[in-house]
Amino acid sequence: MALEVSLMTFPQGPVIWALVVVALVAVGAVLRARATNIKLRRGNAELSAERDTLLRQRDELHVVHNGLLQRQASELAEVRKDAEEETKAVLKAAVRTLQGLADEQQVVIEKAQRKYGDDPGILADLMAMDHANSQFGRRAQGIAVLCGGWLGRRETVASVFDVARSAQGRIRHFDRVRVNGQVNFSVVSRAVEPVAVVLAELLANATNYSAPGTPVEINIQAVPTGVCLIVDDAGLGMGQEEKDRAAALLSPQAAISVSSLGIPPQFGFAVSGMLAARYGFRVSVDSVSPYGGVRAVVLIPDELLTTEVPQSAAPAEAPEAYDTYGTQQQPQAAPQPDQWQQAPAPTPLFPPADRRQDTATQQLAQITTTSGGLPKRRRKSPVSAVPPAAPQPVRSNEETASRLGAFQRGTRSGRDTTTTTEGSEIQ
Amino acid sequence: MSSPGEESSVSSGFVRSYVITGGRGLPDAEDLSLVTLVTLAPDRQPPPNPSPEVKAIWELCSGGYLSVAEVAGHLGLPVGVARLLLQDLNQQGHLLRRKAPPPAQLVDRKILEEVLHGLQVRFG
Repeated sequence: MALEVSLMTFPQGPVIWALVVVALVAVGAVLRARATNIKLRRGNAELSAERDTLLRQRDELHVVHNGLLQRQASELAEVRKDAEEETKAVLKAAVRTLQGLADEQQVVIEKAQRKYGDDPGILADLMAMDHANSQFGRRAQGIAVLCGGWLGRRETVASVFDVARSAQGRIRHFDRVRVNGQVNFSVVSRAVEPVAVVLAELLANATNYSAPGTPVEINIQAVPTGVCLIVDDAGLGMGQEEKDRAAALLSPQAAISVSSLGIPPQFGFAVSGMLAARYGFRVSVDSVSPYGGVRAVVLIPDELLTTEVPQSAAPAEAPEAYDTYGTQQQPQAAPQPDQWQQAPAPTPLFPPADRRQDTATQQLAQITTTSGGLPKRRRKSPVSAVPPAAPQPVRSNEETASRLGAFQRGTRSGRDTTTTTEGSEIQ
Repeated sequence: MSSPGEESSVSSGFVRSYVITGGRGLPDAEDLSLVTLVTLAPDRQPPPNPSPEVKAIWELCSGGYLSVAEVAGHLGLPVGVARLLLQDLNQQGHLLRRKAPPPAQLVDRKILEEVLHGLQVRFG
């Protein structure tokens, strides 16, 4: 039994011992692992603390970096703005001279048109010059506006219709433009030029971006809040991108830099937006015209309108123009139209009802006296002999010849003898 | 930005003459010479939607005969432009026009002789 036990325990002995050894080794390993673990944890904690610090430092650096970036950006913007302002100031000064010259030239051309207006050839050439000069003036005005300059102020109010026609005169293809509708409103003097320039820019766009030969219409409509000038063209219209760009330029907050307008510069909308914001009217180009093109609308609010009637074209301009003109031209042989216009103001020799006719007669009479030196009685006789309405038959060549012959005979006889009267010779 | 005081005034005319003519060719000076007299034909209604210039001519010419040069002067327009507008009205039949006033009617020799005779009898 004991043997059996010993036999039984014997074989168990080494197993147990082996187990014990394994257990001991395991315990040792566990203990070592624990120690390592603790050490690693400590290391890890240290490292993460270190990382946190570094992260904090990184964030701080980031903030500093951002600050620096911002500062740089703002300084750059400032420098750019300064450069832009300087460019604008230089341009503005340069363009002001051009504007003045364009205006001066226009006045000269106008005078020439009145002076040589009787000759259709010369007048047509002068009109072509006038047309080119008007476009030049508009361009100069556009640049001036973009540079923060001014357009030049009109002294008088102008009817909405005349503002539209003035705008029409400032573009190349003015003959494609039709102005429809008249309202009994005038534009106040300070807004006359701005509205005309804006409308001219819209018309220039409308004519440039529609097929040659297609009409462009300006419709004038009174609306409850003012007067609308509606420009319709028959072009292709604008894509969404172009519309967005136009809307951005036309909005009152638009910041426009001269350098962002492209080459060749397209400053129509920029100019329109700036002027509209400055003078308080509205411009929009976002609708479609009935002809398929763009419909641009200028809304002139009531504040910029007046019911004051502009001095009608005729008497307001004429006397002043001719007075200055007359004083300059008097020493020279004045052209015929001016002689007429410089004739003394009509004096009421006759009842007012016949005033105009009499004025005509007086002036005719004067001319006859100065040129021919004919007897005084002759001057009156045509008037009294003229029936009021029936046109006189045109004299035939033979009759003219015979009368001239009679005149010649008369003067000859007058030189030959002193006794024969003029009448006796002329039959 | 400059102050409003800096804004200089514009002195040129407002509506250009080629806009008033609509860019059309100008009529010959022979057609309506400076001294041709024009007036409105009787019982005429103004054309629909007249331009301000046509309206002004209508008013000017309703008072009796007026020369082309005077019409231009009153309108403050070059003669050629006024001539074109007058020609339009003429072609629409609104105008009566007349060449320069004819010279005086020549007095009959017999009357002069009688007057002379009478004077001689009385004072001679």
